[in-house]
Amino acid sequence: MSNIIDFSEGIYYAEFEIPMIAKTIQLLTNMLPVKIAYAHCDIPCGIYDVHHMQMAAHTVIRMTQMIEETEMTDQKHAMHQIARLTKIKEEHAELLKQELRVLWADYFKDEHVKEYPNLHDLVFKTMKLASKARQDIDMDIAKDLLSHTQEIAEIFYKTKGVKSIRVKSVYPTGLDIVLHTS
Amino acid sequence: MQVLARFLIVGTSMDPTFPPGTYVLTSSLPYLFTIPKVGDVVVVQSPRDRKHLVKRISRINENGYFVMGDNEKESTDSRHFGLLKRHAIIGKVVYILTLPKHD
Repeated sequence: MSNIIDFSEGIYYAEFEIPMIAKTIQLLTNMLPVKIAYAHCDIPCGIYDVHHMQMAAHTVIRMTQMIEETEMTDQKHAMHQIARLTKIKEEHAELLKQELRVLWADYFKDEHVKEYPNLHDLVFKTMKLASKARQDIDMDIAKDLLSHTQEIAEIFYKTKGVKSIRVKSVYPTGLDIVLHTS
Repeated sequence: MQVLARFLIVGTSMDPTFPPGTYVLTSSLPYLFTIPKVGDVVVVQSPRDRKHLVKRISRINENGYFVMGDNEKESTDSRHFGLLKRHAIIGKVVYILTLPKHD
């Protein structure tokens, strides 16, 4: 029986005591088309972070600021400038959603939701805020988006078992960013 | 549902039991006579993209089957996409045809 490895009930390794049987099975099954079964992992590295998400929220704030500050004296120039700023605002709100989607779908697990029961609601509200930030030029919404993102960042670090701290960012927004300290 | 199918395993979520490159034989026949049970290695249809996945049943309750990769750290499974219904289970892995060769 030494060649039979029982991995789980009813699954046997191909090298039987009688190699003939194994060979026959191999020959017969060679006629079957090969399909792919994915022993699947979206990202087989466990690398998740909340940095990009926060940077994107700061960018949305900064773009909103810059749109509001755009001088309308030279209309052609102003339109061009606003188009450029809006494009970046759109992209970063979407980037934030993408980063959050990955965290929510691939990183956060049942045990995290049990520990932080507001997590689903928080993610849902953040997604909605990111969409609103795209639709409007509204600083309150942009700031609310950042504050929700920071809350998620803090939960993320807690699930990683590290301490986090809110520090003033080095960005022109002058607002905080959540970093881990240990 | 296929009586007999040959699958090539791609990916590392069933390591070390079924390393990538392993060929296995699956069958839907065992589940005509018995119900899937905890510990069974099964080929399932992913609820996300309909791809075939190979996973092990780790829990069963009234709402469905919770499947996981043996290599928990590198597996996207029921921890992410939730419980699977019975019809998502395509077949049981019944036989290992060949394991990948190592140099």
